[in-house]
Amino acid sequence: MGYEWDFAVVLRDSDLLLLGLVNTLKVTILALVFGVPLGLGAALLRLSSNRLVRGLVGFLIEFFRSTPPIVQLFWFFFALPLLTGIEISPFGASVLTFSIQSSAFFAEVFRGGIVSIERGQWDAAKAIGMTRNQTLARIILPQAVTRMIPAFLERVIELMKTTTLVATVSYADLLYQANNIAQSTFRPLEVYTVAAVMYFAVLFPTSLGVRRLERHLARSGATTAH
Amino acid sequence: MDRIWDFSSVFASRELLLVGLGNTVKLGVTCLVIGLTAGLFVGAARYSRNRLVNWPASAFVEVFRNTPALVQIMWFFFAFPIISPFNIDAFTAAALALSLNATAFCAEIYRGGIQSIERGQWDAAKAIGMSYSQQMRRIILPQAITRMVPAFMNRAVELMKMTSLASVIAFGELMHQGKAIATYNFNPIETFTVVALIFFVLIYPLALGVLRFEARLGRSQ
Repeated sequence: MGYEWDFAVVLRDSDLLLLGLVNTLKVTILALVFGVPLGLGAALLRLSSNRLVRGLVGFLIEFFRSTPPIVQLFWFFFALPLLTGIEISPFGASVLTFSIQSSAFFAEVFRGGIVSIERGQWDAAKAIGMTRNQTLARIILPQAVTRMIPAFLERVIELMKTTTLVATVSYADLLYQANNIAQSTFRPLEVYTVAAVMYFAVLFPTSLGVRRLERHLARSGATTAH
Repeated sequence: MDRIWDFSSVFASRELLLVGLGNTVKLGVTCLVIGLTAGLFVGAARYSRNRLVNWPASAFVEVFRNTPALVQIMWFFFAFPIISPFNIDAFTAAALALSLNATAFCAEIYRGGIQSIERGQWDAAKAIGMSYSQQMRRIILPQAITRMVPAFMNRAVELMKMTSLASVIAFGELMHQGKAIATYNFNPIETFTVVALIFFVLIYPLALGVLRFEARLGRSQ
């Protein structure tokens, strides 16, 4: 094939791509900062003894897990401002969407970890006079967290891949920058290939690390929740 | 804010949404079938002891698992046509990207399932004189498939959600139709709510099926 590859044009705009990568990481990290505590809260509510709370939170979790994130993002970006009258920036909408979306998945990771702890641990804690919250904080969660780590990190990787969607609401993440550069240089082949390589360069070592950790945990006896 | 929800304009566009739903299902099913079929071969190749076979298969799987699906779709739509010998429309680009993505994930499921079968099963099959492909087809796969079903169903859930990404390259699936309707009628609230509900109704039964099947599998094993 007669196509001549020319990566020079991409190199010239490499600072824009790097800025995009930083923005991608920014959204990912913020979504984690809000999504993880929210997920823990949702998991605890889903395990609550109140049937109504359990059912409602369960439905919300399932809803956010079973609808495409792009639909959620468009809802928060285009529909929510009309409903509330509050302007929302692409960045705000992205962080909001992915915090909630990832919290639904984290909730399931937390729940899986918590229910994997044997019933006897709860009973023993109760027997020495701990309240439910104390038991959770001092006995159950510390044990459950080790088991959750691989499933949790798996979710982080998924989250970072999902954040590419923010490009569709014009937030300047890596993919958005790539789109712009591809349009201005007429070199989509090189630009998109480089963008894919940049994502791979971040995600692949992370996946390898997760797998290694998973093997390590399996060997040391702390089995995984999923 | 007192806003009156008005779903009548969405209802008036129901035919557009139905066309979108049809395209969503078409894209999802195409990619799932290709992914399930091709994934078996890639998975088997990854299991091979021959480096020339397992290395390219591993590279393929890692690349498609560790890059975002949206980047894959954009690559196949904007970049690939430059070097491709044939024309690529939005459906082909999305189907190519998501099929290869599904193939990579399914390959891992096959590999995991096959590895979960005890070594002794292979030895026993070999001892009664079966060839490698006979061992695989008659002994290993039938046992492994049951264990893989929940993971495949999960993949189907993820895949159905991923089809919505094809809206970015203007393939007329459900999300794309929703975007068009919302722009045309200035009713993003109602339209995107309805689109979300349709996706939920489409995908949730699958997700529920995974749980049911896992519970049954857990009891029987």
